[in-house]
Amino acid sequence: MSTPGRPAASAIDTGLRGYARFFVAAFRKKLLLLVRYPVNTLSQIGTMLLVFGVIFFGGRAVAGAAITDSIEGIIVGYLLWTMSVAAYGGLSWGVAREAQWGTLEQLFMSPFGFGPVMAVKTVVNVLEAFLWGAVTLLVMMAVTGRWLAVDPLTVVPLMALSLAPAVGIGFVFGGLSIRFKRIENAFQLVQFLLIGLIATPVEQYPMLRWLPLAQGSKLLRTAMQEGVPIWAFPADDLGVLIVTAMGYLAVGYATFHYCQRWARREGVMGHY
Amino acid sequence: MSQVPERERQSTAEQSAPDPGAEEVLLVDDLRKEYGEGEDAVQAVDGVSFSVRRGEVVGVLGPNGAGKTTTIKSILGLVVPSGGRVEVAGVDASENPRGVYRHVGAMLEGARNVYWRLTVRENLDFFAALGGNDPDAARARQDRLLDQFGLAEKADEAVNELSRGQKQKVSLAATLARGTDVVFLDEPTLGLDVEASVELRRELRRLADEEEITIVLSSHDMDVVEAVCDRVAILSNGRVIADDPVEELVGVFETQAYRLTVEGEVSERVRTELTASYHTEEWETLEDRTRFEVILAEDDTLYDVLGTLQRGDCTLLDVDGLEPDLEDVFLDVTGRAGSGSDENVRLNGGGAE
Repeated sequence: MSTPGRPAASAIDTGLRGYARFFVAAFRKKLLLLVRYPVNTLSQIGTMLLVFGVIFFGGRAVAGAAITDSIEGIIVGYLLWTMSVAAYGGLSWGVAREAQWGTLEQLFMSPFGFGPVMAVKTVVNVLEAFLWGAVTLLVMMAVTGRWLAVDPLTVVPLMALSLAPAVGIGFVFGGLSIRFKRIENAFQLVQFLLIGLIATPVEQYPMLRWLPLAQGSKLLRTAMQEGVPIWAFPADDLGVLIVTAMGYLAVGYATFHYCQRWARREGVMGHY
Repeated sequence: MSQVPERERQSTAEQSAPDPGAEEVLLVDDLRKEYGEGEDAVQAVDGVSFSVRRGEVVGVLGPNGAGKTTTIKSILGLVVPSGGRVEVAGVDASENPRGVYRHVGAMLEGARNVYWRLTVRENLDFFAALGGNDPDAARARQDRLLDQFGLAEKADEAVNELSRGQKQKVSLAATLARGTDVVFLDEPTLGLDVEASVELRRELRRLADEEEITIVLSSHDMDVVEAVCDRVAILSNGRVIADDPVEELVGVFETQAYRLTVEGEVSERVRTELTASYHTEEWETLEDRTRFEVILAEDDTLYDVLGTLQRGDCTLLDVDGLEPDLEDVFLDVTGRAGSGSDENVRLNGGGAE
């Protein structure tokens, strides 16, 4: 018997509708925090723009011609890097913080399952990355006076596929932080590793396109600098992008799953 | 030996009458958890078995390191058990953990279970959605819980602006608002003031009695356990060493114990007679009176003691009956288990091997 007000177990909806409700709740939570803490939000944007300013103005002062010639590549590379850091960091730092706050175990005990809950959080993180990306791109183009081709039908899917390996890396480090806890220093090192991956010289060494982010970086540069639409890319280029996106995402998620089970075997799931 | 909170005990006895025919909503069978391997292996949970009926409130007690947390986390799947079986509302936890989470809610980290930067209401909405509930449909229930916990006026305040006790209440409300069949609570009254703690006890009893919610709670606050729980499972070294209704558990330890206060000093002759005939302790000579405790054997009566005092010309000022409470029982049971004694500490058909 249940008195009015107490939902029966049958009222719990773990189907598509309930999952959509949870997605809305997670998205709303993210937005609320962005709006409620404007100083934090603005400082996040400010830091990204400041670093770009240092690269652009500093670089122009030191090597004016070189920077001017390659500014479009720098804009695309920097855009991909900030969005990768947001997508990767949202997951790895996010998991570590949830464990610190004591809410990770609550997420684990959701009737949706831990995997689907983390998937929602990942999508929300990627959407946040797109928000940062749009603001950063707009400011970068305005500051440099170089307006790139931003066809949403091309840029959004290419960017989403490019970010997938960063999400995979985020899953790996999120999983490691559940098992080993204090690994924030490693998180920071990975941010620099991402720069190397984005700057991989895929044209000279085609084999390197199988590395995370490398192929996406190359295709995004081509699309945005030369205005090439997504359907004009060779099928094998897109194939490599899709395979690396799905592959690194799957490996990352499998590692995360293994680590959370490992942590539960060791009884350290919610410890910090 | 502390005096029993009589009024509270009576009220508990009135309320704690789970239907003996009620279905078993939680079944734990031979649960085991071993950490490490070989010589370094530690058996944290060693064949724990118990079951809980719908609407029953069960306290899990034990000294530090007894295996309480590991047992609860193993039941919840937060720790992967080495063996055994857990079933919640007929759903096997190892086969269908997601199915189990439809029926289970837990507050394990106290005030840390919620997002401090969100408001009270936002937390309740988020956790409702996380649990598969429609936040709008759960609103009435949330409002009632907020009222009962005195949080209605704080509903739109960020949790980090609340006191520790209020944060704890928010965490509890977020857990209870889901209205699951079974709720696990770890130290639910930690950080609460006396008034809030009493309110919480009342609310937990109401949830069990009126909504038939099954509650498993772990607490070091024996008053809470005694006031709220129908049954207590005491763990020691990863095993259940007692699993009995609170009243029976306390009843086993009941003695005829009294604290007597007499005027002036008790003469050496009377004192010798008393100590020779009865078990006396805690002799205390105060300014104008003497106080001592006497524990009577089965054949003795208080009148025999009073007769001895009367014959010795002692004027009786006061008599207090002393009864054991759950804390005395807990200390005695875990003390015996911890001493490595072979004595069977199982009291009344508990789940210990």
